[in-house]
Amino acid sequence: MMWLGWALAALGFALIFGQYAAGQADIFVSIANPRPLDEESMVVTLKGWGFAAQAAQPFVTPESDHGLCDVRLFATRRQMLVAIATFGFLRPVTVAWRANAGILPLGDA
Amino acid sequence: MPIVKLGEEGRWTNYHGTGTCEAATRFALRSGDAERGRDEIAIAAKSVQDWLAQAAAEKRRVRPLGAGWSPSNVNISSQSWLLHTRRFNRCFRMGADDVRPGIDAGALMLVEAGALVDEVSDKFEEQGRSLWTSGAGNGQTFAGASATGTHGSMIARGGIQDHIRALQIVTPAGIRWIEPDAGVMSDAFIAATGSTALRDDNMFAAAQLPVGSLGIVTALVVDSVPKFLVRPIQNLRKVDRAALDWLAAGDFRRFSAAYALDQDPDFVQMIVNPYKPFKRPAMLRFLYREPWRDDYPRATPGQLGAGYDALSLLGRLLNDYPWARGPLLQFAMKQGYASGPDIDAPPVYGSWGEGLDTHRPLADLFNASVTIDRADLARAFERICAVYARHGGSTVVTIRFMERAQGLLAPARFTHNAVIDFDGPRSQRTADAYARVVECLDAEGITFTRHWAKSCRLDAARVAADYGEDFRRWRAARDRLLPDPAHRALFGSEVLDNLGLTC
Ligand SMILES: Cc1cc2nc3c(=O)[nH]c(=O)nc-3n(C[C@H](O)[C@H](O)[C@H](O)COP(=O)(O)OP(=O)(O)OC[C@H]3O[C@@H](n4cnc5c(N)ncnc54)[C@H](O)[C@@H]3O)c2cc1C
Repeated sequence: MMWLGWALAALGFALIFGQYAAGQADIFVSIANPRPLDEESMVVTLKGWGFAAQAAQPFVTPESDHGLCDVRLFATRRQMLVAIATFGFLRPVTVAWRANAGILPLGDA
Repeated sequence: MPIVKLGEEGRWTNYHGTGTCEAATRFALRSGDAERGRDEIAIAAKSVQDWLAQAAAEKRRVRPLGAGWSPSNVNISSQSWLLHTRRFNRCFRMGADDVRPGIDAGALMLVEAGALVDEVSDKFEEQGRSLWTSGAGNGQTFAGASATGTHGSMIARGGIQDHIRALQIVTPAGIRWIEPDAGVMSDAFIAATGSTALRDDNMFAAAQLPVGSLGIVTALVVDSVPKFLVRPIQNLRKVDRAALDWLAAGDFRRFSAAYALDQDPDFVQMIVNPYKPFKRPAMLRFLYREPWRDDYPRATPGQLGAGYDALSLLGRLLNDYPWARGPLLQFAMKQGYASGPDIDAPPVYGSWGEGLDTHRPLADLFNASVTIDRADLARAFERICAVYARHGGSTVVTIRFMERAQGLLAPARFTHNAVIDFDGPRSQRTADAYARVVECLDAEGITFTRHWAKSCRLDAARVAADYGEDFRRWRAARDRLLPDPAHRALFGSEVLDNLGLTC
């Protein structure tokens, strides 16, 4: 029976490691013809398995009057470790975005 | 006032995170809605001049910023005022009356300095025109890309700065409109931009590639060619050693016939794994130019073979597992580059601009390069790969080709150039391996220059030695444009001072 215990432990470890690695993936969404400004980012912590979300700062971005160019969503190694250590109760993620400089029509010199 | 302050004093980090401006106050230069381009840039240039006076009064240095893409930190200056330009991005078509007799106004466009290369390319294509070359990505600003001599691999072309026909530069001492002796724009046009004309070949050649040291470039007149189509071929092939001799001799046709189409290519790029460069397949990219036609089937940048990113994802692995570097790099090349169309795939076509993309921020990258005389390629390349691999360099090595580029400080200063790039994930070991490559080239007596924007570790003595008389001419032009040492110091930074450009 011992081997079954080890096999289950290995499976459990593999499951957790898989979540740890995949959670650091970088999800990227962009508009079609981007004119990006500098990247800004914030950390959002999902609490209670997603029942509540708390951002360390309010979601405001200066210079966003032409909208956003792109958004990235990812967790750092440390953020994934926090999520695993708290059984997913806390799930910090980083949201990064770049505002759009805008595309203005061709004018006459 | 087209300049707005962005928040309080703080830190600003460049695109690749290679440098941070501490205690920097950020400002943004923004486009207005003036009806004519000349009025718009007159207003902007005056605001920039007032802003420079304020910075000088507050004893702050200034640093204009494009997209912040240069990892050499030529865009970094602490305790300074930063001027973001990316929202100063309008483009304007020229009228026949705006230019001097004999100049084709239809080929030219007035571009605000913060317009991205992508924007300039799109606006030209709207008018049936095109840039003739650019870098691998097009997310730089036109002024920023030109400032460092950005280049691609169009074999019969130089750098992106070659497109510039005239430019407006603002210093505390004045607003100058710089052109070659022969002139480009009409006197009335120049006066309407609020600038004083400075027609001088030497000054123009200095200002085409200013490395951010001659003042703030507010506008450029950019040249173009009629729009054309390119057909890309991208494949993984084992390249024979002898093929380097063909490339060194400029026999691109033979190289193309052996590895792609039996046609004269316009663009040739070879990405190799420095761990056994001739045993492992190299990633080859060719572009063949064709006359424009409207009815070609549209393809995405990915289908046209754009994109350069897979390698950065492997950064940590490459650093952590040195014994697996060769196979890991090869795996990354397969994943990242092999998606382009090969010779037996249905042909795809795109305009010059459609085959490029603006790049997205990923892992930390290392970028460095050496530009050598193309004739030295066969002699230098294997040595470079051997030294780089032996010292643990963890990036692929790319060879690109170009002709002599314009600008006194253009790194592509040989008649025919081969540029060898080391682009990939950043690590100290890779930076050290690159330093060993530089030592090796020096020891072998192979002449080379380095890119202003990349992590090439140049200093003033080396710049003076590499550029010789051209450097002296560049400094003479600078001293004419900025005769007051205090004004030169205003544009200084630790990096630029160290390069001998601002002091
Ligand atoms: C993903 C990526 C791909 C790249 N590909 C290539 C390539 O294929 N070929 C190549 O040669 N290089 C390449 N580079 C390097 C890149 O082209 C250069 O770093 C270029 O200078 C970046 O332009 P920028 O607008 O970001 O300028 P920045 O990095 O912001 O600025 C560069 C310099 O220009 C000055 N400057 C900017 N705007 C102005 C202005 N308006 N007036 C006066 N000075 C100004 C800055 O102060 C600084 O000194 C690449 C870089 C990256 C990050």
